[in-house]
Amino acid sequence: MSDVQDSSAAQVLRHRLAERLFHWLMAVCMLVLLLTGFLPVLGVNFAWVDPHWIAGVILTVLVLFHVVRALFFLSLSNIWIRWREFTGSVSAVTAEALGKSNRNRKIGKYSVGQKGFHHAVALVVLLAIVTGLVMMVGIDGPFWERNPFIISESSRGLVFVLHGFAGLISITMVMVHVYFAMRPEKMYMTRSMIRGWISREEFEQNHDPELWQE
Amino acid sequence: MEILRYKSDVWGQRILEGASWDLIWVFAAAAVVFIVFHALYTHRNLKRRQNDE
Repeated sequence: MSDVQDSSAAQVLRHRLAERLFHWLMAVCMLVLLLTGFLPVLGVNFAWVDPHWIAGVILTVLVLFHVVRALFFLSLSNIWIRWREFTGSVSAVTAEALGKSNRNRKIGKYSVGQKGFHHAVALVVLLAIVTGLVMMVGIDGPFWERNPFIISESSRGLVFVLHGFAGLISITMVMVHVYFAMRPEKMYMTRSMIRGWISREEFEQNHDPELWQE
Repeated sequence: MEILRYKSDVWGQRILEGASWDLIWVFAAAAVVFIVFHALYTHRNLKRRQNDE
């Protein structure tokens, strides 16, 4: 296995083990959070508070781990949306929609859509984490006592609204993410989130080495 | 359909309680609409590409 510039290798490393573990542990946390957050609302009653905040704390640690990895060990340029890349993608999608072009567009490590999705998830998850940590102050935990007076009643309402909307948006995002992961043309990317690599052929068919920088 | 939930505080004032849970189905339906639209759009483009070849 090699980096993208070594054209002699049969496999191209796409996701290191740390990133794959982060992704799948985050997926488990998100599912636990959505199920414990929404099943009681839908009438499935169980003791949901403890698994909900525990999954939230684990998610917080995972996100901190990912932020450190992204800042110091990964190339941020792979996830940054450049203006030229954005306008190029918009015009290519427009041309495709109008039937003027049908060419398969080569992307960097991630497409503009994938980068945009990542940033949207980052915003929503950070919003859920910050509001969730504020909400945790209102319940008793193993290492702290509840303090419902740390924020006013009206501010607490706003925090609950923001946390609720972060959860609701997450429903849409998880469904759309799973859909794209299961699309036939994206399946090699999904597989790489398990095995770590894509084949040289998949790389050359879909990716531009100039745009994929490790 | 409500967007927000309200409750009364100890002084009887109406205060925010949270997002309305009626919206669960709206956000789930939004995902389904997007998925169906994208699947049809991609299928159409694939057919067109095959015809061009």
